[in-house]
Amino acid sequence: MTARIAILDYGMGNLRSVEKALEHVGAAATITSEASAVRAADGVILPGVGAFPRAMERIRELSLDELIAERRDAGVPILGICLGLQLLFETTTELGGADGVGLLPGGVDELPADGLKVPHIGWSPVRWERESKLTEGIASETPFYFVHSFAPDPIPGDLLGTAAYGSRFACAAERDNVFGVQFHPEKSSAAGLRLLANFAGVCAKAPAPA
Amino acid sequence: MILYPAIDVRGGSAVRLTQGDYGRETTYDADPVDAALRWAGEGAQYLHVVDLDGAKAGAPQNLATIERIAAAVPCPIQVGGGLRESGSVARVLEAGAARVVIGTAALRDPGFLEAALAAYGDRVVVSVDARDGKVSLAGWTETSDVDVADAVAELSQRGATRFLCTTIEVDGTMEGPALGELARIAAGTEAQVIASGGVGDLAHLESLAREAPANVEGAIVGRALYERRFSVAEAIAALA
Repeated sequence: MTARIAILDYGMGNLRSVEKALEHVGAAATITSEASAVRAADGVILPGVGAFPRAMERIRELSLDELIAERRDAGVPILGICLGLQLLFETTTELGGADGVGLLPGGVDELPADGLKVPHIGWSPVRWERESKLTEGIASETPFYFVHSFAPDPIPGDLLGTAAYGSRFACAAERDNVFGVQFHPEKSSAAGLRLLANFAGVCAKAPAPA
Repeated sequence: MILYPAIDVRGGSAVRLTQGDYGRETTYDADPVDAALRWAGEGAQYLHVVDLDGAKAGAPQNLATIERIAAAVPCPIQVGGGLRESGSVARVLEAGAARVVIGTAALRDPGFLEAALAAYGDRVVVSVDARDGKVSLAGWTETSDVDVADAVAELSQRGATRFLCTTIEVDGTMEGPALGELARIAAGTEAQVIASGGVGDLAHLESLAREAPANVEGAIVGRALYERRFSVAEAIAALA
């Protein structure tokens, strides 16, 4: 079946790139902030570009934090991309600090970078730290495209992938039906499209949304 | 090295000029998005998009097309052509460009370059075009007497971290990149250099990967890809 995926629109993000990439891999994507549309979807993507505190304000204004938690509880696969991944964690230190949606235990902090220029912009190889349906068919150390100044610190059990920029940082996390990637799969060529196709596959197989 | 397939947009179509001459234009794709999707579909990790109308007019003229390309492809794009003031740079980034390529204005207007570097840092690529080793300005219709290696060294000191160096004599000829000239330019800077001009076959890319200095990080390829001399995948392999 074709996976129906809701791309959450809270006014900050690379929504159309994500939509086009999903269409490219055969998923039916909808950009929306409507609860009814999100509830009808087999999967939810939380994209995002920009500052964490401002993004959380917008998400709370639209009650999307409650909706995301509700969909998580319903067993619907959720994928955070870039800032969207960070927002799934509990807290950030960005701009004086803020609380996130809190589906993934842990916080978000500045990239150590060890003297390298921040933001980290460019292609970096990603090492898979364990097996996952999200990364099936993508070799460890395949390059993905990054644009970020912050990175999450998941608990060891949730760590899915790491990359190196100065020092090594977490760039992918997975906890039950919640996934997140710090890189931009929609800008990461064939490997990124494969990852999105894998996510669509996970969504198609998940229990029907209730 | 990163392969940057080039998409030059003029009048809404993807074209190539020979040696920067607006009178010697070849149209390849009626819709540049088709070219972008073709290169990206073959595995391109980056695209280099030039708004040729913008370069001539001094302000972006194909923003809608740039926006459509950025949204359509699963890779970042860098965009140049007519970026001479901050508003234009902001609009191109807003349209979805990962990097902006600033040419003439970087040399003529130090304040503009400084502001762009302060605001966007690594997202700024300074394009320096040269004919006979001398910097060429205004969409290649005007040549200066400034040595290109000197210009790159000076712009590096002003904070530019990435250059796009085009050798006009060989651009569009597919007769091979100007390796010596490239080495001379790259030696004068610690910044990254993207080589542009003259690539016609895989051996040219292999020689770039093998012989160019370490800070030459990539190569622009245009006509040779449109004319199917080799595929994007073959080019990426040759540059590896």
